[in-house]
Amino acid sequence: MSLQNLLQDWSRYRRGREEGGFHNYEHMWGMSIDLNLCIGCNACSVACYAENNLAVVGKDKYEKHQAMHWMRIERYWDEPDLGEGRVSEYQQHGASFLPMNCQQCNAATCEPVCPVAATYHTPDGLNAQVYNRCIGSRYCSNNCPYRLRYFNFYSYYEDSWPEPLNLQLNPDLSVRDKGVMEKCTFCIQRIRVAKDKAQREHRVLQDGEFTTACAQTCPTSAIVFGDMLKMYDPNSTNPSSKVIELWEKHQVELGVTEQEKHNPKIRGYRVLEHLNTDPCIMFLDRVREV
Amino acid sequence: MTTDTRDMRNIQEDYSKDINEDIHWAKINEDVLRSMENPRMGYWIAVGVSLFLLSFAVIAEIYQYNTGMGPSNLNWPHMWDLYIATFVFWIGMSHSGTLLSAILHIIKADWRKPIYRFAEAMTTFSLMTAGLFPIIHLGRLWNMYWVIPYYSDRGIWPNFRSPLVWDAFAITTYLTSSALFLFVGMIPDLAICRDNAKGWRKKLYTALSLGWRGDDRQWRNFRKTYLLMACFLIPLAVSVHSIVSADFAMSIMPGWHVTTFPPYFVAGALYSGCAAIITLFILLRYFFRFEEYMTIAILEKTCKLTFAISMVWTYLLFIEFAATWYGPDAVDKELLIGKFTGPYSPLFITMIFLGSILPLTLAFEKFRRNIPMMFVVSLLLNVGMWLERYMIVTPTLSLSYEPFAQNVMWPSWVEWFILLGSFGWFGLLFLVFVKIFPSVSMYEVKEMIFHRRHLANKEIAAVMHRRLDDAEKKPSTTTPEPGLEGA
Amino acid sequence: MGLKNINRRGFLKLMGWSGVGATVAGCDMPTTVTLEEGKETVTSYLVPEEYAIPGIGVWYSSTCRQCPAGCGLHGRVREGRILKLEGNPDSPINAGKLCQMGQAGLQGHYNPDRLRTPKVRKDGKLVDITWAEALDLIDQHVGASSGLNGARFAWVSDSVSGHQAMLIDNLMSALGSKNLFIHEVVNSEVARSVNQAVLGDATPRYQIGKAHAILSIGNDFLGTGDSPVHASTEYTEFRSSPRGVLGVVEPKMTLTGANADLWMAIRPGTEGVFALSVANVLATKHKMAIDMLPKAIQTAIMKRNLNEDARLTGVSGNHVIRVAKWLSSNPGRSIVMVGGTAEGQVNGYQNGVAAMVLNVMLGNVGKTIVASHEFPFPQLEHRAGGTAGLLDFVKAIDNGGLDVAFFSGANPVYTAPAALGLKDKLASIPFKVSFTQFDDETSQLADLVLPILSPMEDWATIVPKVQGEEAVISMQQPVMEPLYADTRGLGDIVLDLLKKRDGATYGNYDSYYAYLSQAFASFPANMAADGKAVTWNDALAKGVIAVKTGEKQLKAKLDQVAVALPEENAEYPLTLIPTPRLGLWDGRHANIPWLQEAPDQISKVVWDSWAEIHPNLAKQLGVETGDAIKITSAQGAIDVKVYVFKGIHPDAIAVPLGQGHKGYGRYADGRGVNPLEILDTATVDGTNELALYSTRVKVEKARNKDTLVMMGDHDVQMGRKMVSTVTPDVFELTGGEA
Repeated sequence: MSLQNLLQDWSRYRRGREEGGFHNYEHMWGMSIDLNLCIGCNACSVACYAENNLAVVGKDKYEKHQAMHWMRIERYWDEPDLGEGRVSEYQQHGASFLPMNCQQCNAATCEPVCPVAATYHTPDGLNAQVYNRCIGSRYCSNNCPYRLRYFNFYSYYEDSWPEPLNLQLNPDLSVRDKGVMEKCTFCIQRIRVAKDKAQREHRVLQDGEFTTACAQTCPTSAIVFGDMLKMYDPNSTNPSSKVIELWEKHQVELGVTEQEKHNPKIRGYRVLEHLNTDPCIMFLDRVREV
Repeated sequence: MTTDTRDMRNIQEDYSKDINEDIHWAKINEDVLRSMENPRMGYWIAVGVSLFLLSFAVIAEIYQYNTGMGPSNLNWPHMWDLYIATFVFWIGMSHSGTLLSAILHIIKADWRKPIYRFAEAMTTFSLMTAGLFPIIHLGRLWNMYWVIPYYSDRGIWPNFRSPLVWDAFAITTYLTSSALFLFVGMIPDLAICRDNAKGWRKKLYTALSLGWRGDDRQWRNFRKTYLLMACFLIPLAVSVHSIVSADFAMSIMPGWHVTTFPPYFVAGALYSGCAAIITLFILLRYFFRFEEYMTIAILEKTCKLTFAISMVWTYLLFIEFAATWYGPDAVDKELLIGKFTGPYSPLFITMIFLGSILPLTLAFEKFRRNIPMMFVVSLLLNVGMWLERYMIVTPTLSLSYEPFAQNVMWPSWVEWFILLGSFGWFGLLFLVFVKIFPSVSMYEVKEMIFHRRHLANKEIAAVMHRRLDDAEKKPSTTTPEPGLEGA
Repeated sequence: MGLKNINRRGFLKLMGWSGVGATVAGCDMPTTVTLEEGKETVTSYLVPEEYAIPGIGVWYSSTCRQCPAGCGLHGRVREGRILKLEGNPDSPINAGKLCQMGQAGLQGHYNPDRLRTPKVRKDGKLVDITWAEALDLIDQHVGASSGLNGARFAWVSDSVSGHQAMLIDNLMSALGSKNLFIHEVVNSEVARSVNQAVLGDATPRYQIGKAHAILSIGNDFLGTGDSPVHASTEYTEFRSSPRGVLGVVEPKMTLTGANADLWMAIRPGTEGVFALSVANVLATKHKMAIDMLPKAIQTAIMKRNLNEDARLTGVSGNHVIRVAKWLSSNPGRSIVMVGGTAEGQVNGYQNGVAAMVLNVMLGNVGKTIVASHEFPFPQLEHRAGGTAGLLDFVKAIDNGGLDVAFFSGANPVYTAPAALGLKDKLASIPFKVSFTQFDDETSQLADLVLPILSPMEDWATIVPKVQGEEAVISMQQPVMEPLYADTRGLGDIVLDLLKKRDGATYGNYDSYYAYLSQAFASFPANMAADGKAVTWNDALAKGVIAVKTGEKQLKAKLDQVAVALPEENAEYPLTLIPTPRLGLWDGRHANIPWLQEAPDQISKVVWDSWAEIHPNLAKQLGVETGDAIKITSAQGAIDVKVYVFKGIHPDAIAVPLGQGHKGYGRYADGRGVNPLEILDTATVDGTNELALYSTRVKVEKARNKDTLVMMGDHDVQMGRKMVSTVTPDVFELTGGEA
């Protein structure tokens, strides 16, 4: 930390402010989750447990809401108002499933409040959590409107992986001890491996070269993951991606609080967008026949 | 003084006078110094109770340190709970001393003089208590020093955007300043103690009184320093609680993201601080037989002050309700309704009763002069203020944007033990203080008596106040302001 | 020393010091096994094992064995450990996707409660023995010199296929026994027999992706169907533009029902009436031809009355009309599926026939419902099972008894209704052998418990229950070394037993692996779909072998339909639905912590059992979510907490399968209740399957109150735009280009 760095950082920050964002991104990972396709089967969630060394906390701690489901499927029973009027005696339109993992907000509310900067925005557009730096003030979780941050209330590793279950632990990322916050990382270990590989082979990272554990396993392919930098910064040399296609098709833009759509009915929204968190996950509306 | 006369005086206590100006100065010394010696049984019981309470917290904290934050029942989404609520509560308590010492000093309300010392001590000790809570509540408290900016060869700094870092700065600044303020204001008294003490006390007071001889130059420097610090402390105290309120106000959550929070928090802080002063006032008056210094008249003034602040607080509370009610944020409104009707509503309604209705008793002279009643009321006011903090922290965590994470959480024994222990810790510090340091400011009481007397006899006062190099003046033309000029 | 100008000497120094550092750090930790203690051999990576490339994950193909669907797997192996499973994109079953059970296969493999040594029961207690002793013991009972009468030998297995099935068949015939009982609780046997009778093909392929309208009558194809992941991949196509419409009629909302455009609660047992009612509307309102149907069926359709049927089924006439409209506008592009709760009724067979009437009317047969592949290796084909296997097994014990019983895969002691008295009847079998990974309920009664390899350690060939576009044989290969030296593969064991019976044929094979690779060496090239010779390594690398199949045509042959109504039962007014779950399945995955902690898709309950009831019933009982109730059938009673929601018919009460294990490891033991225990033993008319969903029960409020542990605190979105729902016309605004 030198004065020069400080000044450089400051000027970069100022420029970013004026131009509406921080401009040294390498990637901007994003997702599209199609609720028309999501069947709420929970495969993504278990895949996440497997990939990211998520602790199984057991019934008692689950009851106390101390579980660690980075990717959770929310299930709502409210019946949509599709112009049919009266309330039915039955759950006529089925359930509303919503897979919620960290929204990787570009204007993340968790980031500024961390006293030790353990959560910050990476040049990959990710909202990173540095476990080693975290002191467990839990402010980030309190300030996450989506409640997508999970805290290690115990040293879960002591009971979660009795031998030989521990052999399954993914060595590409750590097992977290008590007192640190954790959350979905968009499978950053996979990102790292893919980036390193591309770099070694002197080429650009291609779309679809790798994906997150949830997207990979999703039986209905409702989750699409990819690099959205091209959308955010048209001058970027990163290739376009399926995610960008989906976002553009559904006229959802990064960096805006209210989407301007040619037809306001067009599907595609970001959860709690009005809070101006600028999430990198777009949901496509669930569809039901009347 | 014999017991008889004191009883006589109690019966005849003149409510119109803040203090009996006929007390001999020597007797002031005698009374105050006596309070620092020969602890009675009651004192040891109080120490025992404090240690007992503290031991609860120590046990709970050891358990929590080793196990993690889980046993406290903290959960998703209740990441903060009693710890932070109690932290804010103690920070609030700390505003009493500043208020009495600094603000009343500047506005020359000299009735503060017999009671400001313990209020200042309370400031320091409640800050020392409050400061523990953010540390206790950390998941990895062994790394707590990471919030302090220090040079690291990795170039890692704390996040200066985080209100928690501001908290750390604000609290440490406030703690050092208020400790200094307490100490500086005590120097003349420490010199008195030095002159009367033997053994280790003598050594201690000699060191602490910094060679105070009571000469004119020292007094003048002392006055200036004290005034300066008072001026410095007032904005600091206001900013400290504003910054604590920023922990909430800077967030995005409904019920926290409130523009009026800084003044609301400051008002709340002064409120709880004043109420605590009443409590301790009554305790000290009873335990140390300080009836002659801590008079009913002063109690009444404190009560009136508390009443005024409680009304300010109530006003700000209702402003918050109104802003939410007429505001555009549906979730915020939902939370407000939830506070009144949800699972936490008994606590919330109790808080409004204790915080806004109960202080109305302070408006009546009859009640104000009833010491047992004021004792109970002051305690209840603080219960109300504690509930207020709890009701700021918890309902928001329980009822916010995400419908899937909206549960009701009640603290476990670990949190309650640590909360109780904080009272033990505070009590212990305070008890140690009153036996080592004069809990009534001797020199200022003398000052006060002097000024009261000179109000009765201005000519004497004029003579007394004339400095060596002053030109001979007619006694009737200039009356030095009491309090600001030397005694 | 910067990293850029590092030289050899510097590098060595760095390595040396890091080594010292690592050693010192290692010594510091009391839990580390040090070289001195000699508890662990330190292996140099200078000559690494071929499968272990430090730091780099290697992917191996295999096949998922968590349910009978047979999805292809890719397993990521690092440092000799299997770390993560993904779907095999080359498999036409799952196209690179996996469900949660597949993902959790790892925890079955690494389960801490796996059995590690063979055990024999001596004086009521299990004691360790060696494999040699164990095999001798088996030989004493089933060997050539044992004088075993084949009729007095039985093997109870779960679904098997491929070469294991063939070996088991061969062993059975070597033993002179016909008693191979395939038992699965989650099955589609009734629907299969309907298919067999009507279409002449037990497992026709329902081409969900090609359909534009699907009416599922109790068939939870997305959750617990024959091939959930395959159905899900097809569902993607089905829901893409032009978006297909899904109607589901069932007594209790399943995962499929939760995704329906229109979910209709039906009184259990009246599904056939509903189907005919729809047929009636199609014929009368939409003027669809019914003359291809036999006269008897035509009459049956025409005499239905919409209002009367609505009263009987509980499904409103409007809904019937809506469904009929959807179906009628997609003739030949619709599917009517029957399964689960519809087939598990006493009149389940007729319900199936009634649904098939709709398919015939709509002209779906041969279009969206196509014939299964004519699989060229019938001996390898999938042996699907149901509860008939269980009933036959019990019958075999009753009629003359058994001397020896083998159990593999199936856990009949857990899955059999208590009324069958299987537990007591097993005592009459002198020698019971359980081939198992876990200490399940059946093993607890076995005389010999043999720990087998997990699917991650063993060889096998799998033929999926329902094939995709191409018929395949899916390869299961070990993705890591066995965790426990004292476990053996089932194939190896069967081969060993066969060797003793028929040394001439099987003596050449050292192991099951040798047997398999030999079989592939002689794989006829012309049988591969692409006509190229299949090499062993290719097969393993790709994971699936597409085989050449014959063409088959479906021809519908309907005879008559007789939909009887369920009997009224005043004493037991409700119908119990023991719901299978995508997760714990039939209880076999209850020992997998991930799946225990994964909330049920519908109720979001974890680690427990619950009973789903309708708010009307809850009101009547005076209970709310979390309260305990007692469910009593003629066969027994269970205590369970309720989950109240509107996704169930008020006449039904659903209790999920999977919990209520006694034993079966630390994660399953003593958790929740097993609804199978209190089932009646009535069978589906016309088949030998248990009518799983027809047990009549009564409920009463129980006194003890407890909380139901579930994820999520609110069932509604409270006005937030969490899940936004739109109508299909909005979908088509952007859907067209997809």
